[in-house]
Amino acid sequence: MAQVTTTTYEPVAPVRRSRSLPTAGSLQWLVWLVVVGLILGPFIPLVYASIRDRPLYEAGGAFTAGAYRDLLSDTAFWHAALHTLEYAALTTTLSVVAGGAIAILVARTDLPWRKALGRLTLLPLLLPSLGIVLGWIVVWGPGGYLSSLVHTHLHLGTLDINTIPGMSVIEATRLLPVAYMTCEAALARADSSLEDAARSAGSSPIRVLRSITIPMLRPALLNSGTLIFTLSIASLGIPLLLGTQHNIQFLSTYLYLQWTNGATPDSPLVSAGAMLLLLVATLLLLLRNRMLGAEARYISVAGKAGRTAMLSLRMWRWPLAIVVALYIVFSTLVPVIGLALMSFVAFLTPLIAPWHLFTWSNWHILGSGIYLRSIEHSALLALIGGLVTTALVALATLVAHRSKLPTRKSLPFVMLYPRAIPGLIIGIGFFWAYLLTGAPGSWLRQGIWGILLAFCIRNLPFAYVVMYPTMARIGEELDRAGRSVGAGWWRTCRSIVLPLLKPALFASFVLMFVEILNDYDPALFLVRPGTEVIGTTMLDTFLQGIVGPVASLAMVQVGVTVIVLAIGTLVLKVRVTGGHDA
Amino acid sequence: MPEIHVDSLVKQFGEQRALDDVSFDVAEGELFTLLGPSGCGKSTTLMSIAGFQTPEEGRIEVGGDVFYDAARRVSVPAERRNLGIVFQSYAVWPHMTVFDNLAFPLRVRKTKRAAIRPRVVEVLDLVEMGPYIDRYPHQLSGGQQQRVALARALVYSPSVLLLDEPFSNLDAKLRERARAWVKELQGRLGLTTVFVTHDQDEALSMSDRVAVMSQGEVQQIGTPEEIYRRPTSRFVAEFVGNVNLLTGEVAATERGRIALEIAGGRKLWIDSERAQQPRAQVTVAVRPEALRLEAAETSTLNGSNTLDATVRSVAFLGDHYQYELETGDLSLTAQTPRAVFAERVKVHIPADACAIVE
Ligand SMILES: Nc1ncnc2c1ncn2[C@@H]1O[C@H](COP(=O)(O)OP(=O)(O)O)[C@@H](O)[C@H]1O
Ligand SMILES: [Mg+2]
Repeated sequence: MAQVTTTTYEPVAPVRRSRSLPTAGSLQWLVWLVVVGLILGPFIPLVYASIRDRPLYEAGGAFTAGAYRDLLSDTAFWHAALHTLEYAALTTTLSVVAGGAIAILVARTDLPWRKALGRLTLLPLLLPSLGIVLGWIVVWGPGGYLSSLVHTHLHLGTLDINTIPGMSVIEATRLLPVAYMTCEAALARADSSLEDAARSAGSSPIRVLRSITIPMLRPALLNSGTLIFTLSIASLGIPLLLGTQHNIQFLSTYLYLQWTNGATPDSPLVSAGAMLLLLVATLLLLLRNRMLGAEARYISVAGKAGRTAMLSLRMWRWPLAIVVALYIVFSTLVPVIGLALMSFVAFLTPLIAPWHLFTWSNWHILGSGIYLRSIEHSALLALIGGLVTTALVALATLVAHRSKLPTRKSLPFVMLYPRAIPGLIIGIGFFWAYLLTGAPGSWLRQGIWGILLAFCIRNLPFAYVVMYPTMARIGEELDRAGRSVGAGWWRTCRSIVLPLLKPALFASFVLMFVEILNDYDPALFLVRPGTEVIGTTMLDTFLQGIVGPVASLAMVQVGVTVIVLAIGTLVLKVRVTGGHDA
Repeated sequence: MPEIHVDSLVKQFGEQRALDDVSFDVAEGELFTLLGPSGCGKSTTLMSIAGFQTPEEGRIEVGGDVFYDAARRVSVPAERRNLGIVFQSYAVWPHMTVFDNLAFPLRVRKTKRAAIRPRVVEVLDLVEMGPYIDRYPHQLSGGQQQRVALARALVYSPSVLLLDEPFSNLDAKLRERARAWVKELQGRLGLTTVFVTHDQDEALSMSDRVAVMSQGEVQQIGTPEEIYRRPTSRFVAEFVGNVNLLTGEVAATERGRIALEIAGGRKLWIDSERAQQPRAQVTVAVRPEALRLEAAETSTLNGSNTLDATVRSVAFLGDHYQYELETGDLSLTAQTPRAVFAERVKVHIPADACAIVE
C-alpha cells in the first residue's frame, strides 16, 4: 500500500513579469483604435468636405448646405439615381433568382456533376471583375467577336450590352455567386427532414419545392438580395466602361466624372453625393443585420449533411445540368477566352482568322513603362497588403472575441462595414483624409502606400469573415488554460490561439492577395502619375480606346489569381471562397 | 498549502442571478467539493476563484492573498493567481506535444532550459504518463488526456488545484479508477483542492467536505456523512441519493426527541436537538437503507416506530434489494442487503436515522 514516490513537490519560481512591458489592455486598446480609426476615420473629412463651400485645399471657406442643394437640384443627378435604381433592381432580381435556383439544384437535387458545377459557379467572385467585364466587351460588345459572328451568320441580334438591361446581366453574373453561396449555406444548414416529411406525406417534388424549400430559403434570398443591391448601387467598373460611351449615367459614374472632369475639381458636390450614397449603403446594412438576426431564429441547425434525400429531376437531369454548365461557360469561360485571344492579336474580328493577326506586341509592351510599373505596384501591394491586413485582422479578431475590452463588441460590426461601403466612397474619404493629415498624409498621397491603405480597408471584411468561424471553433477553455498556467493575454494569443488559427491566416492571406491584386475603384480617386496599379491602368487605357494591352494586363491578373488560388488550395489546403458571404 | 476563503459572492447574468451570496472556506490540504445539478452555478463559482468570471459582489482570498474584493475594487488577473486548473474539456493544447504542454507553464515562468525537461519528466511520471511524452493530444485517449491536463496543472506547483467536472467525459469504468487515483494523488501531495461535480457518488466518495448548491445558493456544507445522513433541506436530501420524506405534526416533545403524528394517526419518534413548536408541520428524511425490514410472521420488531406494511414491488439491484412498500396511505422505499421473502412485512424507522428537513 505504502507506495514510495521520489517526487518532491517543490514550488517553481512564480511568474516574473518585467514592469516595462505594455499591458495587454493597452495593446487591445491600440488595436481597437487603429481598426476603428482607419475604417471610420476617413468619413469625418468626407462629411466635412460635403458641408464646405469650396474644396478643402483652398484657403478660406465657410459652412454651407449648398453642395447638397446643388446636388439635389441637378436633373442629371436624378437621372443618374433613376438609372442606378433600375440597374440595381434588375441586377438583384437576376442574380438572386438564378443564384437561388442553382443553389437548390446543387444542394437538393440529383443534378449530374453538381459538386463541380457548384464550385465553378463561385469563380467570378475570385476572378478580376474588371478583366472579366473587358472580356464581355471584347466578345459581346458592339462589333465584338461573338456578337458579330451571330449577326453575320445567323442574322440575329444579341443583347446590347451598352443598355441598362445588358449591363445588369453582366453585373448579375459577377454578383450571382453571393446569392448562390448564401442560399447554398442556408440549405446545407437547414433540416431536410421537413422536406422528407412532406415527400412521404405524398406531395410532389415541385410542390415540396414551392411550399417548403423556397419559403425556407426566404431569409437567405432577402439577405443576399440586399447585399447584392448595395453592391450594384456602388458598382463603378461596368457603368464606366459600358454606360458612359452611350451617355447612360449612374450615381457612381456621375460622381466619378464630376470628380475628374467637373468645372471645379474635387468639388464639395461630389462629397455630398458620396455622403448620400454612404447613408443609403449604411441603412441597407442595418436592414441586413436585422434580417440576419431574424434568420438565426428561423434556421433549424439540426440538419445533418449527407443524409439529405435528393429530389429526383428525372428527365430534366441532363438538360438542367447543361443549362448550368452553359451559364458558367458563357459568364466566365467565354470572356476569359476572349481576353486571352485578344491579347495575342492585333485586333479581334470574326472576319479574319486570329492566327493571321497573331502578335506578341500586347505582351511585349507589358515589360516597360506604365504597364510594368502597374504590375510591379499591384504585386507589391497585394503581397504587403495581404500580410498587413491578415496580421491586423487577426489581432482585431482576437480583441473582438478573446478579450475583455469594454468596447470589443463594436469590432465585428466595424470590420464588416467596409463590405457595404462603395469603393468610390472609400477612395474619396481617404483622399480627403490624406489631404488633411499634414506630412504623413501627404507622404501617403505621394506614393503607392496611400492606395495600399485604402485597398486594405476596403477588403478587410473578407479577412475577418474567413477568420471568425475558425476562431469560434477554438474552445475558450484552451486559452483559459493558457492564462491559468501563468501566461498573459498576449502570450496566450501568441502561443495558443494564433497557432491554432494558422489555416485561417493562410486563407486570409491568399484571399487578401487576390482581392487587392484585382481591386481598383478606391484607387481611381487616389492614383497619380507614377503610382498606377493594374486596375487603374486598365481602365485608363481602355477609355483611351486601346484594347490590346488591356487584355494582356487582364490576363496577367487572371493568371496570377489562378496560380495563387491553386497554390492556396493545393499546398496550403485553404478554402478561400468562404469569405464572400459577408 | 494555503486555505481559501470565499465570501458572499454575487454574480448576475442579465436578469438571472447565477450566484447568490455564495460563501465557504476551504482548509489547507482539504478536498472540497461543489455539488449540484447542472446550471446551479458551480462553474461560475470555480471560475470566479480562477479569475475568469468577475462577480459583482464578494471577496475571494487564497493563502492570505486577496484575489478579488468588490468593496476595494481588487481583482488579480487570472494569470497571476498561480492556481492549477483542470477544465471539463481538459483543454490540452492540440498543437503541442505532451512535453510542450507541460513545458509551457515553466517557460512562461522563465525556468532555466536545463531544468525544464527533468521537471516535466518528473511530473509526467507522477501521473504515470512518462512514456507518452512525445505524443500529440490526438494520439491519446480521453483518460490519458485528462492525466496530461492534471500534470500540466501540477507542473508549476500551484498553490491550489481547481477541478471542473474532470471525470464527466470518461466512461463509467475509467471514471471510477480516475477518482481513486486523483484522490490518492491529492492526498499524497497535500493539495488544497476545489472540485466541481454534479455526480453525488463522486462527491461523497472523494471529498473531505461538500457544499451542495442549488440555483446559485449554497444549501448545506458538511462532510459526506453529514450531507448524506443529516440533510438540512428537502433539496439536499433528494439530490444526494434516494430518500423517504415523511411529513407530520409535532405531537409530543421530550428532551432530545419529538414525536410526529404521521398519516393514519401513527406516531413516529425522531431524535432532534432543536425544540419544536407543538402542532408544527415537520418533514423528515430517512434513507431507504436505514429502514429495517422483516417478514411480518417471523418478525421480532416491536414497539415504537414500527409499522405494518405491504410489499408492492421488489427490485434486485446487484448488491441490494429495493422494496416499494405501502402502509396505510404512506409509501416507503426500503433497501436491504438480503432478500425478505414475504408480502406482509414490518418496517422499523430508527429514530436516529431521521433528519428534519423543514
Ligand atoms: N457567460 C454566461 N452568460 C450568461 N449566462 C451564463 C453564462 N455562464 C453561465 N451562465 C448561466 O449561469 C448559470 C450557472 O452556470 P454554471 O456556473 O456554468 O453552472 P454549472 O453549475 O452547471 O457549472 C446557468 O444558468 C447558466 O445558464
Ligand atoms: Mg459547469
